[in-house]
Amino acid sequence: MAQNRAEEDEFINKAPLQESRETEEERKRKEEEFGYGLYPERSGSGSRFKQGSIGESLFTFRHKCHIMLQVAMDTSPYAKLLLGAMKSSGCTVHKDRHFSCEDCDGTVSGGFDAATSQIVLCQNNIHQQAHMNRVVTHELIHAFDHCRARVDWFNSFRHLACSEIRAANLSGDCSFVNEISRFNFGLKEHHQACVRGRALRSILAVRKVSREEAELVVDEVFDSCFHDHAPFGRIPHNKKDAKFAYRDYENRDRYYANL
Amino acid sequence: MAGSQSNWRPPRSCDVYWCEFKHCKSLFNRFHEYYTYGRAPDCQQWKEDYYTCKEWEKNHSTQAKESLQESERKRVAEQRKFTPVWELRQTPPADWHMPLNQGKPQDS
Repeated sequence: MAQNRAEEDEFINKAPLQESRETEEERKRKEEEFGYGLYPERSGSGSRFKQGSIGESLFTFRHKCHIMLQVAMDTSPYAKLLLGAMKSSGCTVHKDRHFSCEDCDGTVSGGFDAATSQIVLCQNNIHQQAHMNRVVTHELIHAFDHCRARVDWFNSFRHLACSEIRAANLSGDCSFVNEISRFNFGLKEHHQACVRGRALRSILAVRKVSREEAELVVDEVFDSCFHDHAPFGRIPHNKKDAKFAYRDYENRDRYYANL
Repeated sequence: MAGSQSNWRPPRSCDVYWCEFKHCKSLFNRFHEYYTYGRAPDCQQWKEDYYTCKEWEKNHSTQAKESLQESERKRVAEQRKFTPVWELRQTPPADWHMPLNQGKPQDS
């Protein structure tokens, strides 16, 4: 469990899937260029086990993943707020349609596939409920951005960086406790440094771009995206913050009617 | 909104203002304000809004109402103080609800 702790929260974004008419070579190239190689079950090879088979229940964590996902959706104030906000924006999230528990490569914990409008949860890398809550929140922020804005995941580094900055900022990825557990000790404005760092790593994981170029893009959009707290209205540093934000969200009709 | 003046009530209920004030002053929040922004939080406005809210509850004064409205509009403006990187949509993406086997190369 502690093994991959430094990288266990690798959250990356995925570019839209391409048409099936592309050649095997093109597909391989895209796997490498857009990070699809990290999600073998969605880039052609499919699951090793037939869905519902004994093999699947014995050798994968799919069932556990689904249970933890349900708990997250029912009890996490972060997730509940995001699900509500997405519903209000016309993107009602259905667990069976918009979430997929899969085995992933490496140390990634999840991803958002814009082409299929699905959130991928890496069942082999998420083993604790708190971690699941955070991954679900992180990916729902990407989904929320996809729903409410014209995000060009495929072609725009700026858009990709912006969503990663927001997800790292608002999901609790960079909470003091999480940073300490990664042995990143920092106090004054460390949250911002953490958000920058994680956004950078996420971009480098899925795009073939130099570190310098990625840093430039992150710097360019940081001020704007760090201050975009939608739909929370604040940076939720813990469950209590998130509960306050959820309360505000539920009260939004009264709030805006009386402004 | 002249017609709905008699229906007006504070954007948040008064106890929520007090809750936010206490939360703002808490050690946890003061730590996180420093951790995030490198400064101390400014909680005074929540306290003032609470008293204004209570005053409005007591005598429905226009001054209290306008003071609360101004304070909340400032908060909303603060939340919007950035230039968006992307264009916001008017409608959700067309394929959000599309079934999975449409447009996907292989069955999931």
